[in-house]
Amino acid sequence: MQLSPKTKQYAFVIQQLTSREIKRKYARSYLGIVWSVLNPLLSMVVLSLIFSQLFRRSIENYPIYYLTGYLLWQAFTGATTTAMTTLADNKALLLKVKFPMELFILARVYTALLNLGYSFLAYAIMLAVFRITLRPTFIFFPVFVFFLFLFTLGISYLLASAYVFFGDIKHLYSVFLTLWMYCSAIFYPAEQLTGPIRIVIDNNPIYILIHCLRKAVLSGLLPTFFEWAGIVFWCVGSYLLGRYIFKKNRNTIMQKL
Amino acid sequence: METEVIVQNVSMEFERAKDVPDSMKELLIKKLKGTYRPETFKALDNISFTVKKGEVAGIIGTNGSGKSTLLKIISGALIPSSGRVYVDRKKVHLLTLGTGFDPELTGKENVYLNGAMIGYTKSFLDQKYKEIVKFAELDGFMDTKVKNFSSGMVSRLGFAIATAGDSPEILILDEVLSVGDMFFRKKSEERIKKMIHGGSTVLIVSHSTSVIRNNCTKAIWIEKGKLKACGNPDVVCDTYEKMGK
Repeated sequence: MQLSPKTKQYAFVIQQLTSREIKRKYARSYLGIVWSVLNPLLSMVVLSLIFSQLFRRSIENYPIYYLTGYLLWQAFTGATTTAMTTLADNKALLLKVKFPMELFILARVYTALLNLGYSFLAYAIMLAVFRITLRPTFIFFPVFVFFLFLFTLGISYLLASAYVFFGDIKHLYSVFLTLWMYCSAIFYPAEQLTGPIRIVIDNNPIYILIHCLRKAVLSGLLPTFFEWAGIVFWCVGSYLLGRYIFKKNRNTIMQKL
Repeated sequence: METEVIVQNVSMEFERAKDVPDSMKELLIKKLKGTYRPETFKALDNISFTVKKGEVAGIIGTNGSGKSTLLKIISGALIPSSGRVYVDRKKVHLLTLGTGFDPELTGKENVYLNGAMIGYTKSFLDQKYKEIVKFAELDGFMDTKVKNFSSGMVSRLGFAIATAGDSPEILILDEVLSVGDMFFRKKSEERIKKMIHGGSTVLIVSHSTSVIRNNCTKAIWIEKGKLKACGNPDVVCDTYEKMGK
Protein backbone atom coordinates (compact mmCIF):
# COMPACT_ATOMS: atom_id res chain seq x y z
CA MET A 1 0.00 0.00 0.00
CA GLN A 2 1.29 3.39 -0.97
CA LEU A 3 0.87 5.98 1.73
CA SER A 4 -0.03 9.47 0.69
CA PRO A 5 2.40 12.20 1.83
CA LYS A 6 -0.28 13.54 4.13
CA THR A 7 -0.79 10.24 5.91
CA LYS A 8 2.95 9.83 6.13
CA GLN A 9 3.27 13.24 7.73
CA TYR A 10 0.50 12.44 10.22
CA ALA A 11 2.24 9.20 11.11
CA PHE A 12 5.45 11.16 11.70
CA VAL A 13 3.60 13.60 13.97
CA ILE A 14 2.04 10.77 15.96
CA GLN A 15 5.38 9.03 16.25
CA GLN A 16 7.00 12.24 17.53
CA LEU A 17 4.22 12.94 20.03
CA THR A 18 4.27 9.37 21.27
CA SER A 19 8.00 9.24 21.71
CA ARG A 20 7.74 12.46 23.67
CA GLU A 21 5.18 10.94 26.04
CA ILE A 22 7.25 7.84 26.58
CA LYS A 23 10.51 9.71 27.05
CA ARG A 24 8.86 12.08 29.47
CA LYS A 25 7.30 9.43 31.61
CA TYR A 26 10.59 8.10 32.87
CA ALA A 27 12.64 11.20 32.12
CA ARG A 28 14.11 11.53 35.60
CA SER A 29 14.80 7.90 36.26
CA TYR A 30 18.01 6.01 36.00
CA LEU A 31 16.67 2.92 34.27
CA GLY A 32 14.60 4.95 31.83
CA ILE A 33 12.68 2.93 29.30
CA VAL A 34 13.30 -0.35 31.18
CA TRP A 35 10.68 0.87 33.65
CA SER A 36 8.05 0.50 30.98
CA VAL A 37 8.35 -3.26 31.34
CA LEU A 38 9.57 -3.36 34.93
CA ASN A 39 6.70 -1.32 36.32
CA PRO A 40 3.87 -3.58 35.13
CA LEU A 41 5.94 -6.65 35.91
CA LEU A 42 6.49 -5.61 39.52
CA SER A 43 2.87 -4.70 40.05
CA MET A 44 1.84 -7.99 38.50
CA VAL A 45 4.15 -9.87 40.86
CA VAL A 46 2.72 -8.07 43.86
CA LEU A 47 -0.84 -8.65 42.75
CA SER A 48 -0.22 -12.32 42.08
CA LEU A 49 1.30 -12.76 45.52
CA ILE A 50 -1.76 -11.26 47.13
CA PHE A 51 -4.39 -12.74 44.93
CA SER A 52 -3.00 -16.24 44.59
CA GLN A 53 -4.45 -16.86 48.06
CA LEU A 54 -7.89 -15.54 47.19
CA PHE A 55 -10.69 -17.16 45.22
CA ARG A 56 -8.54 -20.23 44.79
CA ARG A 57 -11.39 -22.65 44.75
CA SER A 58 -13.74 -20.80 42.43
CA ILE A 59 -11.27 -19.67 39.77
CA GLU A 60 -8.58 -21.68 38.16
CA ASN A 61 -5.32 -19.83 37.59
CA TYR A 62 -6.57 -16.87 39.51
CA PRO A 63 -3.48 -14.63 39.06
CA ILE A 64 -3.73 -14.90 35.29
CA TYR A 65 -7.48 -14.40 35.48
CA TYR A 66 -6.82 -11.21 37.35
CA LEU A 67 -3.87 -10.01 35.28
CA THR A 68 -5.71 -10.42 31.99
CA GLY A 69 -8.37 -8.08 33.23
CA TYR A 70 -5.81 -5.77 34.77
CA LEU A 71 -3.90 -5.51 31.49
CA LEU A 72 -6.88 -4.33 29.46
CA TRP A 73 -8.26 -2.16 32.24
CA GLN A 74 -4.95 -0.35 32.72
CA ALA A 75 -4.66 0.32 29.01
CA PHE A 76 -8.19 1.69 28.91
CA THR A 77 -7.92 3.97 31.93
CA GLY A 78 -4.41 5.07 31.01
CA ALA A 79 -5.48 6.08 27.54
CA THR A 80 -8.72 7.81 28.45
CA THR A 81 -7.40 9.78 31.40
CA THR A 82 -4.39 11.10 29.51
CA ALA A 83 -6.34 11.75 26.32
CA MET A 84 -8.95 13.71 28.25
CA THR A 85 -6.61 16.59 29.02
CA THR A 86 -4.67 16.53 25.78
CA LEU A 87 -6.47 19.41 24.07
CA ALA A 88 -6.08 21.62 27.09
CA ASP A 89 -2.42 20.58 27.54
CA ASN A 90 -1.55 21.41 23.97
CA LYS A 91 -3.61 24.54 23.75
CA ALA A 92 -0.83 26.75 22.46
CA LEU A 93 0.16 24.30 19.79
CA LEU A 94 -3.31 23.67 18.51
CA LEU A 95 -3.64 27.17 17.15
CA LYS A 96 -0.41 26.88 15.29
CA VAL A 97 -0.53 23.50 13.67
CA LYS A 98 -2.09 22.59 10.41
CA PHE A 99 -2.98 19.00 11.05
CA PRO A 100 -6.31 17.97 12.57
CA MET A 101 -6.43 18.10 16.35
CA GLU A 102 -7.62 14.51 16.48
CA LEU A 103 -3.98 13.58 16.10
CA PHE A 104 -3.25 14.73 19.65
CA ILE A 105 -5.93 12.43 21.00
CA LEU A 106 -4.80 9.64 18.73
CA ALA A 107 -1.22 10.05 19.90
CA ARG A 108 -2.17 9.71 23.57
CA VAL A 109 -4.27 6.62 22.90
CA TYR A 110 -1.49 5.19 20.79
CA THR A 111 0.96 5.83 23.62
CA ALA A 112 -1.26 3.84 25.95
CA LEU A 113 -1.35 1.11 23.33
CA LEU A 114 2.45 1.02 23.25
CA ASN A 115 2.49 0.83 27.02
CA LEU A 116 0.08 -2.07 26.71
CA GLY A 117 2.72 -3.66 24.49
CA TYR A 118 5.34 -3.27 27.24
CA SER A 119 2.93 -4.61 29.83
CA PHE A 120 2.25 -7.49 27.50
CA LEU A 121 5.92 -8.50 27.82
CA ALA A 122 5.47 -8.57 31.57
CA TYR A 123 2.25 -10.51 31.09
CA ALA A 124 4.06 -13.04 28.91
CA ILE A 125 6.61 -13.54 31.67
CA MET A 126 3.81 -14.15 34.15
CA LEU A 127 2.20 -16.66 31.76
CA ALA A 128 5.48 -18.53 31.66
CA VAL A 129 5.89 -18.41 35.44
CA PHE A 130 2.45 -19.91 35.98
CA ARG A 131 3.11 -22.47 33.25
CA ILE A 132 0.07 -21.61 31.19
CA THR A 133 -0.02 -23.64 28.00
CA LEU A 134 -0.68 -21.41 25.07
CA ARG A 135 -3.86 -22.17 23.23
CA PRO A 136 -4.28 -21.56 19.49
CA THR A 137 -6.95 -18.97 20.33
CA PHE A 138 -4.18 -16.85 21.84
CA ILE A 139 -3.53 -15.44 18.39
CA PHE A 140 -6.79 -13.52 18.75
CA PHE A 141 -5.13 -11.29 21.33
CA PRO A 142 -4.44 -8.47 18.83
CA VAL A 143 -8.04 -8.61 17.64
CA PHE A 144 -9.30 -7.82 21.12
CA VAL A 145 -6.69 -5.13 21.52
CA PHE A 146 -7.81 -3.60 18.25
CA PHE A 147 -11.42 -3.43 19.44
CA LEU A 148 -10.31 -2.03 22.77
CA PHE A 149 -8.40 0.62 20.82
CA LEU A 150 -11.53 1.63 18.89
CA PHE A 151 -13.63 1.78 22.02
CA THR A 152 -11.00 3.77 23.89
CA LEU A 153 -10.59 6.20 21.04
CA GLY A 154 -14.31 6.92 20.97
CA ILE A 155 -14.46 7.54 24.71
CA SER A 156 -11.31 9.68 24.49
CA TYR A 157 -12.87 11.92 21.86
CA LEU A 158 -15.88 12.46 24.10
CA LEU A 159 -13.85 13.13 27.22
CA ALA A 160 -11.36 15.41 25.50
CA SER A 161 -14.13 17.58 24.07
CA ALA A 162 -16.02 17.67 27.36
CA TYR A 163 -12.90 18.54 29.36
CA VAL A 164 -12.35 21.72 27.36
CA PHE A 165 -15.66 23.03 28.68
CA PHE A 166 -15.84 21.48 32.10
CA GLY A 167 -12.70 20.96 34.14
CA ASP A 168 -14.52 18.91 36.74
CA ILE A 169 -15.09 16.09 34.27
CA LYS A 170 -11.69 14.91 35.44
CA HIS A 171 -12.86 14.31 39.00
CA LEU A 172 -16.22 12.94 37.97
CA TYR A 173 -14.56 10.55 35.59
CA SER A 174 -12.18 9.20 38.20
CA VAL A 175 -15.13 8.40 40.46
CA PHE A 176 -16.96 6.90 37.54
CA LEU A 177 -13.92 4.78 36.70
CA THR A 178 -13.94 3.25 40.16
CA LEU A 179 -17.56 2.30 39.70
CA TRP A 180 -16.80 1.00 36.24
CA MET A 181 -13.91 -1.05 37.53
CA TYR A 182 -16.13 -2.82 40.06
CA CYS A 183 -18.58 -3.52 37.27
CA SER A 184 -15.90 -5.11 35.11
CA ALA A 185 -15.28 -8.14 37.30
CA ILE A 186 -11.56 -7.67 37.19
CA PHE A 187 -10.72 -9.40 40.44
CA TYR A 188 -13.77 -11.49 41.24
CA PRO A 189 -15.73 -14.08 39.30
CA ALA A 190 -18.73 -12.50 37.60
CA GLU A 191 -20.69 -15.72 38.07
CA GLN A 192 -21.06 -14.96 41.78
CA LEU A 193 -23.34 -12.04 41.09
CA THR A 194 -26.99 -12.14 40.19
CA GLY A 195 -29.76 -9.66 39.51
CA PRO A 196 -29.50 -6.21 37.94
CA ILE A 197 -25.80 -5.84 38.63
CA ARG A 198 -25.15 -8.98 36.60
CA ILE A 199 -27.01 -7.48 33.66
CA VAL A 200 -24.87 -4.37 33.92
CA ILE A 201 -21.71 -6.44 33.97
CA ASP A 202 -22.75 -8.58 31.05
CA ASN A 203 -23.42 -5.51 28.95
CA ASN A 204 -20.29 -3.69 29.98
CA PRO A 205 -18.08 -3.51 26.89
CA ILE A 206 -14.89 -3.65 28.92
CA TYR A 207 -16.10 -6.75 30.72
CA ILE A 208 -17.07 -8.42 27.44
CA LEU A 209 -13.57 -7.82 26.09
CA ILE A 210 -11.90 -9.00 29.28
CA HIS A 211 -14.14 -12.05 29.48
CA CYS A 212 -13.47 -13.04 25.86
CA LEU A 213 -9.74 -12.55 26.26
CA ARG A 214 -9.72 -14.68 29.40
CA LYS A 215 -11.55 -17.43 27.57
CA ALA A 216 -9.11 -17.23 24.67
CA VAL A 217 -6.05 -17.36 26.92
CA LEU A 218 -7.16 -19.78 29.61
CA SER A 219 -9.69 -22.12 28.04
CA GLY A 220 -9.00 -21.89 24.33
CA LEU A 221 -12.51 -20.73 23.52
CA LEU A 222 -13.58 -18.12 21.02
CA PRO A 223 -16.32 -15.58 21.76
CA THR A 224 -19.88 -16.63 21.02
CA PHE A 225 -21.86 -14.92 18.31
CA PHE A 226 -23.55 -12.65 20.86
CA GLU A 227 -20.24 -11.70 22.37
CA TRP A 228 -18.84 -10.80 18.95
CA ALA A 229 -21.96 -8.78 18.24
CA GLY A 230 -21.60 -6.97 21.57
CA ILE A 231 -17.95 -6.20 20.94
CA VAL A 232 -18.52 -4.84 17.47
CA PHE A 233 -21.58 -2.87 18.54
CA TRP A 234 -19.93 -1.16 21.48
CA CYS A 235 -16.53 -0.55 19.98
CA VAL A 236 -17.54 0.65 16.54
CA GLY A 237 -20.45 2.53 18.07
CA SER A 238 -18.24 4.30 20.59
CA TYR A 239 -15.74 5.22 17.91
CA LEU A 240 -18.34 6.63 15.54
CA LEU A 241 -20.21 8.52 18.23
CA GLY A 242 -17.04 10.00 19.70
CA ARG A 243 -15.80 11.08 16.32
CA TYR A 244 -19.13 12.57 15.35
CA ILE A 245 -19.49 14.63 18.52
CA PHE A 246 -15.89 15.75 18.32
CA LYS A 247 -16.22 16.90 14.71
CA LYS A 248 -19.47 18.66 15.43
CA ASN A 249 -18.01 20.63 18.30
CA ARG A 250 -14.64 21.28 16.69
CA ASN A 251 -15.23 24.95 16.22
CA THR A 252 -16.67 25.64 19.67
CA ILE A 253 -13.70 23.78 21.15
CA MET A 254 -11.27 26.03 19.32
CA GLN A 255 -13.13 29.11 20.52
CA LYS A 256 -13.11 27.96 24.08
CA LEU A 257 -9.39 27.19 24.00
CA MET B 1 -1.32 42.58 -8.64
CA GLU B 2 -3.07 39.51 -7.42
CA THR B 3 -4.92 39.67 -4.13
CA GLU B 4 -3.76 37.03 -1.72
CA VAL B 5 -5.85 37.58 1.39
CA ILE B 6 -9.35 38.99 1.41
CA VAL B 7 -11.02 39.63 4.72
CA GLN B 8 -14.63 40.50 4.13
CA ASN B 9 -16.94 41.89 6.82
CA VAL B 10 -15.55 39.55 9.42
CA SER B 11 -17.13 39.62 12.85
CA MET B 12 -16.35 37.32 15.69
CA GLU B 13 -18.59 36.94 18.67
CA PHE B 14 -17.81 35.04 21.78
CA GLU B 15 -20.32 33.99 24.31
CA ARG B 16 -19.08 35.46 27.49
CA ALA B 17 -21.00 35.42 30.69
CA LYS B 18 -19.80 37.84 33.35
CA ASP B 19 -17.98 34.92 34.88
CA VAL B 20 -17.80 32.00 32.52
CA PRO B 21 -18.71 28.72 34.20
CA ASP B 22 -15.67 26.50 34.10
CA SER B 23 -17.27 23.48 35.59
CA MET B 24 -20.50 21.63 35.25
CA LYS B 25 -21.26 22.26 38.88
CA GLU B 26 -21.06 26.01 38.36
CA LEU B 27 -23.09 25.91 35.19
CA LEU B 28 -25.76 23.83 36.89
CA ILE B 29 -25.95 26.09 39.92
CA LYS B 30 -26.09 29.19 37.76
CA LYS B 31 -28.78 27.76 35.53
CA LEU B 32 -30.85 26.76 38.52
CA LYS B 33 -30.48 30.15 40.12
CA GLY B 34 -31.23 31.75 36.80
CA THR B 35 -28.10 33.86 36.91
CA TYR B 36 -26.58 32.29 33.81
CA ARG B 37 -26.92 35.00 31.23
CA PRO B 38 -24.28 34.72 28.59
CA GLU B 39 -23.46 37.97 26.89
CA THR B 40 -22.07 38.14 23.46
CA PHE B 41 -18.81 39.89 23.25
CA LYS B 42 -17.63 41.18 19.92
CA ALA B 43 -13.95 40.47 19.51
CA LEU B 44 -14.04 41.62 15.91
CA ASP B 45 -16.64 43.91 14.44
CA ASN B 46 -17.11 44.02 10.70
CA ILE B 47 -13.49 44.01 9.62
CA SER B 48 -12.62 44.16 5.93
CA PHE B 49 -9.30 44.56 4.21
CA THR B 50 -7.23 42.95 1.50
CA VAL B 51 -3.59 42.11 1.23
CA LYS B 52 -2.05 41.85 -2.19
CA LYS B 53 0.56 39.37 -3.24
CA GLY B 54 4.02 40.46 -2.14
CA GLU B 55 2.74 43.04 0.30
CA VAL B 56 3.96 43.22 3.86
CA ALA B 57 1.03 44.16 6.02
CA GLY B 58 1.46 45.10 9.65
CA ILE B 59 -1.41 44.67 12.05
CA ILE B 60 -1.21 46.99 15.00
CA GLY B 61 -3.36 47.57 18.03
CA THR B 62 -3.30 47.58 21.80
CA ASN B 63 -3.51 44.42 23.87
CA GLY B 64 -6.84 42.67 23.65
CA SER B 65 -7.89 44.55 20.56
CA GLY B 66 -8.56 41.40 18.60
CA LYS B 67 -5.29 40.98 16.70
CA SER B 68 -4.73 37.37 17.69
CA THR B 69 -8.33 36.46 17.01
CA LEU B 70 -7.94 37.89 13.54
CA LEU B 71 -4.81 35.82 12.96
CA LYS B 72 -6.54 32.68 14.12
CA ILE B 73 -9.34 33.35 11.69
CA ILE B 74 -6.96 33.98 8.81
CA SER B 75 -4.95 30.86 9.55
CA GLY B 76 -8.14 28.84 9.74
CA ALA B 77 -8.08 27.86 13.39
CA LEU B 78 -11.31 29.73 14.04
CA ILE B 79 -14.34 30.20 11.87
CA PRO B 80 -15.80 33.72 12.10
CA SER B 81 -19.39 34.24 13.27
CA SER B 82 -20.11 36.20 10.13
CA GLY B 83 -18.23 37.38 7.11
CA ARG B 84 -15.69 35.49 5.07
CA VAL B 85 -11.99 35.17 4.61
CA TYR B 86 -10.64 34.21 1.22
CA VAL B 87 -7.20 32.73 1.50
CA ASP B 88 -5.52 29.55 0.39
CA ARG B 89 -4.95 27.84 3.74
CA LYS B 90 -2.39 25.51 2.27
CA LYS B 91 -0.06 28.42 1.65
CA VAL B 92 -0.38 29.96 5.10
CA HIS B 93 2.44 29.50 7.52
CA LEU B 94 1.89 30.88 10.99
CA LEU B 95 4.97 31.66 12.99
CA THR B 96 4.65 32.13 16.72
CA LEU B 97 7.27 31.57 19.33
CA GLY B 98 7.58 29.84 22.63
CA THR B 99 5.08 27.16 21.79
CA GLY B 100 5.55 23.51 21.24
CA PHE B 101 8.75 22.95 23.11
CA ASP B 102 8.92 20.24 25.67
CA PRO B 103 11.28 21.18 28.51
CA GLU B 104 11.98 17.56 29.41
CA LEU B 105 13.34 16.71 25.96
CA THR B 106 16.71 17.60 24.52
CA GLY B 107 17.22 20.32 21.96
CA LYS B 108 17.59 17.79 19.20
CA GLU B 109 14.44 15.92 20.12
CA ASN B 110 12.58 19.20 20.22
CA VAL B 111 13.73 20.12 16.71
CA TYR B 112 12.07 16.97 15.43
CA LEU B 113 8.97 17.32 17.58
CA ASN B 114 8.47 20.96 16.73
CA GLY B 115 9.34 20.40 13.09
CA ALA B 116 6.77 17.63 12.81
CA MET B 117 4.16 19.96 14.27
CA ILE B 118 4.89 22.69 11.77
CA GLY B 119 4.59 20.20 8.96
CA TYR B 120 8.15 19.31 8.01
CA THR B 121 8.81 15.76 6.93
CA LYS B 122 11.42 13.61 8.59
CA SER B 123 13.75 13.64 5.60
CA PHE B 124 13.50 17.42 5.40
CA LEU B 125 14.48 17.75 9.04
CA ASP B 126 17.37 15.29 8.67
CA GLN B 127 18.62 17.40 5.84
CA LYS B 128 18.18 20.80 7.49
CA TYR B 129 19.12 19.84 11.03
CA LYS B 130 22.69 21.17 10.91
CA GLU B 131 21.58 24.41 9.35
CA ILE B 132 18.97 24.95 12.05
CA VAL B 133 21.50 24.39 14.83
CA LYS B 134 23.97 26.71 13.17
CA PHE B 135 21.48 29.49 12.70
CA ALA B 136 20.31 29.25 16.29
CA GLU B 137 23.98 29.28 17.41
CA LEU B 138 23.38 26.27 19.61
CA ASP B 139 26.23 23.97 18.60
CA GLY B 140 27.09 21.72 21.51
CA PHE B 141 23.82 22.36 23.33
CA MET B 142 21.59 20.10 21.35
CA ASP B 143 21.85 17.14 23.71
CA THR B 144 20.95 19.32 26.68
CA LYS B 145 17.40 19.34 27.91
CA VAL B 146 15.52 22.42 26.85
CA LYS B 147 14.56 23.19 30.46
CA ASN B 148 18.23 24.10 30.97
CA PHE B 149 18.21 26.53 28.06
CA SER B 150 17.98 30.25 28.63
CA SER B 151 14.84 31.88 27.28
CA GLY B 152 16.87 33.54 24.54
CA MET B 153 18.20 30.16 23.43
CA VAL B 154 14.70 28.74 23.29
CA SER B 155 13.38 31.54 21.13
CA ARG B 156 16.42 31.40 18.85
CA LEU B 157 15.84 27.72 18.30
CA GLY B 158 12.14 28.34 17.73
CA PHE B 159 12.88 30.99 15.16
CA ALA B 160 15.45 28.82 13.40
CA ILE B 161 13.07 25.88 13.10
CA ALA B 162 10.13 27.95 12.01
CA THR B 163 12.01 29.69 9.25
CA ALA B 164 14.00 26.69 8.05
CA GLY B 165 11.52 25.88 5.31
CA ASP B 166 11.39 27.39 1.88
CA SER B 167 9.74 30.76 1.82
CA PRO B 168 6.07 30.09 2.38
CA GLU B 169 3.72 31.96 0.14
CA ILE B 170 1.84 33.59 2.98
CA LEU B 171 3.76 34.12 6.17
CA ILE B 172 2.07 35.27 9.37
CA LEU B 173 4.38 36.53 12.09
CA ASP B 174 2.98 36.91 15.57
CA GLU B 175 5.36 39.11 17.59
CA VAL B 176 8.48 37.32 16.49
CA LEU B 177 10.73 40.15 15.45
CA SER B 178 11.84 40.96 18.95
CA VAL B 179 13.73 37.80 19.72
CA GLY B 180 17.16 37.33 21.22
CA ASP B 181 19.95 39.85 21.58
CA MET B 182 20.49 42.66 19.10
CA PHE B 183 22.82 40.60 16.94
CA PHE B 184 20.37 37.78 16.60
CA ARG B 185 17.58 40.24 16.01
CA LYS B 186 19.48 41.68 13.10
CA LYS B 187 20.07 38.23 11.70
CA SER B 188 16.44 37.24 12.05
CA GLU B 189 15.23 40.45 10.48
CA GLU B 190 17.52 39.73 7.56
CA ARG B 191 16.08 36.29 7.19
CA ILE B 192 12.55 37.64 7.22
CA LYS B 193 13.54 40.27 4.67
CA LYS B 194 14.92 37.53 2.47
CA MET B 195 11.61 35.73 2.69
CA ILE B 196 9.80 38.93 1.83
CA HIS B 197 12.01 39.42 -1.20
CA GLY B 198 11.44 35.78 -2.10
CA GLY B 199 7.92 36.85 -2.98
CA SER B 200 6.10 35.91 0.21
CA THR B 201 3.09 37.83 1.30
CA VAL B 202 3.62 38.71 4.93
CA LEU B 203 1.32 39.63 7.79
CA ILE B 204 3.10 40.97 10.84
CA VAL B 205 1.39 41.43 14.16
CA SER B 206 3.08 43.73 16.58
CA HIS B 207 2.42 46.48 19.04
CA SER B 208 5.72 48.08 18.27
CA THR B 209 5.33 50.84 15.72
CA SER B 210 9.03 50.74 14.82
CA VAL B 211 8.74 47.15 13.62
CA ILE B 212 5.79 48.13 11.47
CA ARG B 213 7.47 51.24 10.10
CA ASN B 214 10.68 49.41 9.23
CA ASN B 215 9.19 46.40 7.54
CA CYS B 216 5.74 47.01 6.24
CA THR B 217 4.28 48.41 3.08
CA LYS B 218 0.86 48.69 4.62
CA ALA B 219 -0.52 49.00 8.11
CA ILE B 220 -3.82 47.93 9.55
CA TRP B 221 -4.90 49.32 12.88
CA ILE B 222 -7.47 47.46 14.90
CA GLU B 223 -8.83 48.87 18.13
CA LYS B 224 -11.41 47.16 20.33
CA GLY B 225 -12.41 44.91 17.46
CA LYS B 226 -12.97 47.74 15.03
CA LEU B 227 -10.90 48.67 12.04
CA LYS B 228 -9.56 52.14 12.77
CA ALA B 229 -7.25 52.78 9.87
CA CYS B 230 -5.68 51.00 6.98
CA GLY B 231 -3.07 52.28 4.60
CA ASN B 232 0.37 53.88 4.59
CA PRO B 233 2.34 52.58 7.59
CA ASP B 234 3.77 55.97 8.55
CA VAL B 235 0.40 57.66 8.55
CA VAL B 236 -1.30 54.85 10.43
CA CYS B 237 1.49 54.59 13.00
CA ASP B 238 1.40 58.33 13.58
CA THR B 239 -2.30 58.33 14.36
CA TYR B 240 -1.87 55.24 16.51
CA GLU B 241 0.87 56.93 18.53
CA LYS B 242 -1.20 60.09 18.93
CA MET B 243 -4.03 58.09 20.42
CA GLY B 244 -1.75 56.84 23.16
CA LYS B 245 -0.87 60.33 24.26
